[in-house]
Amino acid sequence: MTGGDNAIRELVVAGGGITGWSAAAALRRRLPGLKVTIVPVPPPADALADRIASTLPSILEFHRDLGLTDADAIVRAGSSFRLGTCFTGWAEDLPAYIHAYGEYGRPFGTASFHLHWIRAARRAAAAAFDSHSPAAAIAKAGRFVQPQGEEGSPLAGFEYGLQLNLARYGEMMRAYARHLGVAERCAGIAEVRLRGADGFIDALRLDDGSELGGHLFVDCTGPAALLRSALDPAFESWERWLPCDRLLLAESPPLPEPTALDTVTAMAAGWRWQAGSAIRTSHGLVYSSAHMRDDEAAATLQEAAGTGVTGGPVPIRAGRRVQPWLRNCVAVGDAAVAMEPLEWGNLHLAHSAIDRIVSMMPDRDCGAVELWDYNRQAEAEADRMRDFLTLHYAVSRRPEPFWQEAASVEPPASLAHTLSLFRERGRLPIYEEETFSRDSWLAVLLGQGVIPERTDPLIETVPPNQADQAMAKMRETIAAIVPTLPTHAAYLRNLSRQFAR
Amino acid sequence: MELGEVVNIVVVGGGTAGWMTASALVKLLPERCTVHLVESEAIGIVGVGEATLPHIRAFNEKLGINEADFMSRTRATFKLGIEFRNWARIGDSYIHPFGTFGSGQGEIDFHQYWLRMQHEGVDVPPLEQFSTACMIARLNRFDLPSTDPQRLDSTFGYAYQFDANLFAPYLRKLAEELGAKRTEGRIVAVHRDGESGDVESVELESGERITGDLFVDCSGFVSLLLGKALGEPFQDWSKWLPADTAVAMPCRTETAVTPYTSAIAMDSGWRWRIPLQHRTGNGYVYPSAFLADEDAAEALVGAVEGDPIAGPRFLRFKAGRRERSWVHNVVGVGLAAGFLEPLESTSIYLIQAAITALLELFPEKGISDTDRDEFNRLVDLEYDRIRDFLIIHYKCTERDDTEFWNYVRTMDIPDSLEEKLDLFRRRGRVVKYREGCFLDASWIAVYLGQRVFPHGHDMRADAPPTDALARDMAVLHKEIRATAERMPDHVGRIQSYCPMATAA
Repeated sequence: MTGGDNAIRELVVAGGGITGWSAAAALRRRLPGLKVTIVPVPPPADALADRIASTLPSILEFHRDLGLTDADAIVRAGSSFRLGTCFTGWAEDLPAYIHAYGEYGRPFGTASFHLHWIRAARRAAAAAFDSHSPAAAIAKAGRFVQPQGEEGSPLAGFEYGLQLNLARYGEMMRAYARHLGVAERCAGIAEVRLRGADGFIDALRLDDGSELGGHLFVDCTGPAALLRSALDPAFESWERWLPCDRLLLAESPPLPEPTALDTVTAMAAGWRWQAGSAIRTSHGLVYSSAHMRDDEAAATLQEAAGTGVTGGPVPIRAGRRVQPWLRNCVAVGDAAVAMEPLEWGNLHLAHSAIDRIVSMMPDRDCGAVELWDYNRQAEAEADRMRDFLTLHYAVSRRPEPFWQEAASVEPPASLAHTLSLFRERGRLPIYEEETFSRDSWLAVLLGQGVIPERTDPLIETVPPNQADQAMAKMRETIAAIVPTLPTHAAYLRNLSRQFAR
Repeated sequence: MELGEVVNIVVVGGGTAGWMTASALVKLLPERCTVHLVESEAIGIVGVGEATLPHIRAFNEKLGINEADFMSRTRATFKLGIEFRNWARIGDSYIHPFGTFGSGQGEIDFHQYWLRMQHEGVDVPPLEQFSTACMIARLNRFDLPSTDPQRLDSTFGYAYQFDANLFAPYLRKLAEELGAKRTEGRIVAVHRDGESGDVESVELESGERITGDLFVDCSGFVSLLLGKALGEPFQDWSKWLPADTAVAMPCRTETAVTPYTSAIAMDSGWRWRIPLQHRTGNGYVYPSAFLADEDAAEALVGAVEGDPIAGPRFLRFKAGRRERSWVHNVVGVGLAAGFLEPLESTSIYLIQAAITALLELFPEKGISDTDRDEFNRLVDLEYDRIRDFLIIHYKCTERDDTEFWNYVRTMDIPDSLEEKLDLFRRRGRVVKYREGCFLDASWIAVYLGQRVFPHGHDMRADAPPTDALARDMAVLHKEIRATAERMPDHVGRIQSYCPMATAA
């Protein structure tokens, strides 16, 4: 057996939101012989990984590794699909753009597609960048289809995320975890008791007077990080780059034909979103309290959503814990990284942390080199997410003071490097632990009008008119295929019927 | 049409680096540059790197080179990996394969299951026998890999072993047909702009001055532009990689034309064996502080299998790289930029990496600092990771039979490598990188081959019951063996695919 008597056998998960139950289920299911006990303290309002319904495509991979079927995790849990996000008003002089999870164009000649597009854009001869993305076009038309066909065919090169029905999804994950044998201890956490010798967590004292010991403690309790913060408080703030520090939520009845495209609209001091599903339409407003009062924000959201605001403003303190894993305690989700939900990465980072724990499970001594490698990856991943979110502000173009300030802040060095390389010649450097693909970066950069100063010499073997024709052909192919696809709503209805049978 | 400026490029030095650079530039950026290569036939080429890594195939493909024609003309053989003999202990032999272990499927790396069986004391065959590439190699067979990822014969890649003295002329022909200009002559002076410090021209013995916008220094160890003219400092890595001399001597092939290169540890270094179609390349790489040249030559003559085709030839070098490869308007490619001993056949790979970065960051006449810095970052990364990979072979040994092995076994190593080693020792995990030339399977093969044995393994490998896992492994073992045995003989495959041209 692994490491003999030193193997981790008893694991405690704290936190009863989606993050906590997902962690408990995955660790129980994917690591053999592990006893998993969860203390399902209710997630606080600011645990965004537990509270934001829009997810990235990686959730489907997470389900597959867990052994969850689409029938359970999508249909019966009342989820619908997301192909991407439509960004409106982020660069005021430009039309809205779509960030979809898929290919933008196909490479031709010896170079990547976007280099051809940039050359055309510099001649003012380019159609919108997102008009070369099948997924964006499908989403925009209110249609949906799961990816299919051979690699290279128009319907093969994209992915989709989910729009969760949070309550039902949480229940489903809890039921599944219980089914797998996760033990539940329903009590509050009164004290985190540390071992004198090495500062490891010895046990949790619960508010029913009992104690719960374990070899490893997984903290999914939200930004307060009830367990992990008992070990050290070190936190790296991102507030200077991600200036929004408040969130308001609202809900309205579902639209008759909800699309697989949510919208994110820039506002005077932040942004708001609208995301549809078969059950409801979710709304949110993310703003900077330095630039907008809470009552103004509530009024703004109410007007946009046509419905009252749910609950009060939720604080967001953007940043990450310096070492998410310290001694025998690992922070997951908002306990490790807190950030505004722009681009819907909160739950994704939680899933990624869970996967990483599964694949890097150390011995009980939580050896320094293994934790070093875990933290190196987790920190890099969080920083790359920070960069992608910061990008939206750094290349925004709006007149309001909030936006002017956001665009003038010196970006983190890694993002500054990306921007300078991209502005120079359309090149994107490769970093470790990147969540978003190159096409995602391009969708935002080009969508917000960052046109490189030079065209890349590698495309010169293809004359511009030939490239123009190839691009036009791609758009025609997309335009021909989109009307043949079912609407998102029809697709969902059909799927439910199929699984109901 | 928006036309970029045409950049006039001067390539200083022929040889493998020079002609690879020239041919790639004229082929891939025909509108954007002119290429003028200056070389002197009086200066020999080093011609190391007869053994390559699989990346070379992508280079050839981009250049539109027909594989069979290329192999025939450079008298090439196929290469599935590198055999290391006598490294951790005298009598040991392992192969670093260009391929994965196991079926290449599944959630966790195959070696984790293998480690688990070892930890449980279950008798399973050596890890090497679970690599299709290794098994084909050991049986001296070869066939091109399948593209169906479900099949075992898709789990490997391959490279070539070829005559480096024929590769440069092969590329020269291609480059000249595409418009590269060549001037014969020895460079006697380098002229720089007094203000900017950029190189303006190189002056030949004849008095002719060749001007350009960008100079690619492929002058070899002498590093005529980057090192000499611009004085870019050299980062010396010889405390970790102390070998500074090689003595080379080709011979007739008496034993097998193996589809792999061999690196055989010697008393004070190691010896390469690279079988080509018409001969076998041999050489002894050693530190002169530990071994005299005549003793090295004698040891080599005693070790090679057939009659020597040429007398022993000595090469001097130093491990390390220039602080920066691109300074002002000079880009160093190949030995002019740095040197790492050919233990893992990385010389041509490093040339290719520099060329790829240059193509992707191809400048205009006014070179931007952003591009230059990015080029240097990319190239440095390659050198540094390969350096760590090479050091493992020396550091992780149990040999204490000579002064040399005692030195390398006890030397300090870079922190970056300490971390990697510690991580592997704990439970067989490899630090993952997106960039860098060696994939996980390479590190795993070398760690285990060097007897770095992990204390633990991935907990997920404990999932299947022992007897079920043992059964599955036995089935896989048999299938891998059968896959290898179905393949044709290596020499036979060469004969049918790319026999050497009689008049090369």
